[in-house]
Amino acid sequence: MMREALGVVELLVFPGFLFLSWLALYFEWVDRKFYAKLQYRYGPLYTGPKGFLQPFADFVKLLAKEDIVPAAVDRFLFTLTPILMLALAFYALFYVPIVPMVRNVAFGAFEGDLILVIFVLTMVGFLKFLAGWGSTNRFSAVGAVRTAFQLLGYEIPLAVVLLTAGMGAGTLNISLIAQKVASNGILASALLPALAISIVCFQAELERIPFDIPEAEQEIVAGWLTEFSGRRLALFRFATDLELTLAAALTAALFLGGPYGPAIPLIPVQVSYFLWFMFKTTVIVMVLANIRALFARLRIDQMVHFSWRHLLIAAVAEAIFIQVLLAAGVIA
Amino acid sequence: MGLGLVKWSRIKSPWILHFNSGACNACDIEVLAVLTPRFDVERFGMLLKGSPRHADIIVITGSVTRQIRDRLVRIYEQTPEPKFVLAVGNCAGTGGVFQQCYNVYEGVDKVIPVDVYVPGCPPRPEAIIHGVVKLLQKLQEAS
Ligand code: SF4
Repeated sequence: MMREALGVVELLVFPGFLFLSWLALYFEWVDRKFYAKLQYRYGPLYTGPKGFLQPFADFVKLLAKEDIVPAAVDRFLFTLTPILMLALAFYALFYVPIVPMVRNVAFGAFEGDLILVIFVLTMVGFLKFLAGWGSTNRFSAVGAVRTAFQLLGYEIPLAVVLLTAGMGAGTLNISLIAQKVASNGILASALLPALAISIVCFQAELERIPFDIPEAEQEIVAGWLTEFSGRRLALFRFATDLELTLAAALTAALFLGGPYGPAIPLIPVQVSYFLWFMFKTTVIVMVLANIRALFARLRIDQMVHFSWRHLLIAAVAEAIFIQVLLAAGVIA
Repeated sequence: MGLGLVKWSRIKSPWILHFNSGACNACDIEVLAVLTPRFDVERFGMLLKGSPRHADIIVITGSVTRQIRDRLVRIYEQTPEPKFVLAVGNCAGTGGVFQQCYNVYEGVDKVIPVDVYVPGCPPRPEAIIHGVVKLLQKLQEAS
């Protein structure tokens, strides 16, 4: 009985919906603030302490704004895509270890959940395409086609590196991979190139500079998001924040051991999970923000070229490298 | 309580759309200066948006030419409520140096309603920020 009650708390409050929502807004704040610092700006400053409530204010404002449905759009897709994208992003987060409470693994962990999460990541990319396509606006359509093109580029290298971590750990359960990586230093160091590749791929998945080609505002207004206003835009922005959370949590889990790490003395193990998780994911979000500040936008052909010529080859080489290490018995 | 939250969020997160309705470009450069590190209005939560569907405040520079009139009205109609208009520069206020030209309307308010005028040719970035603050004050005072 006690266990079930704890499970409900874990689903709804911590580390469930409430905590995940907070986490998504927190990461948007970290991203914007750090990005601003790199440009010698302050970033959000007066909304809550150090602008901490800025993402929340944006969200509430958009929820309360007029929600325009242009006459020409496909009403079904226009309504469905924001909701589905939010739901999918939440769904995938329950398979990634964040702060395990009851069992020592993620809430929904099962053998093979890595494949499921990869599938959800693809679906989210595809939903962006559908959202733009259903808007029947010329800018949205161009943005949507670019999203689909970009998906062809980063999708396969990303799947290869994520599965490489599974190969190295000998399981497809994200939580078990995280535990193994956290306790096996050789595996963790062998996976460092995979970490770099996955960060580049996630930058493309999240459509951030230098891969913000589908949203290039100087060329195509706001890409696939152009026609969305009010509530729908709020849901999309929130879903994107959750996607950022998913990217950071998944990368941390697969390559850095996620919440698992050396026990910190004198505090309960759950608190140490929380501290390790926040530390690792925040660093990853800062790296993502740093990439955003460092580069200019690529052209779409350069992006696809880069992914197939370099990223995919690097990803396959990393997979072979891990296989060789496994065959040679270096990774126990 | 709920309404207070909405009002707070509106004041804290004004997103702007920059629209050039026939300015000589000096006003536009000052508007862009507002967004750059020296003045950095993201401190107040202001972001520049590309699509009128995402914006709260339309920042208009320049007297409205006859050619752009219909486009301006359409952009205004595409912006979701509640929306506000900030007329930046003498041109946007009265027609400025282009007054009595055959091809301009003398001020944005001949075409769409304006909430705040920022005079100057061109106004300094501080003046533009002051204009936005005035606009937010109006919002704060409205019940
Ligand atoms: S107000 Fe002056 S600076 Fe601004 S657009 Fe008109 S002429 Fe140019």
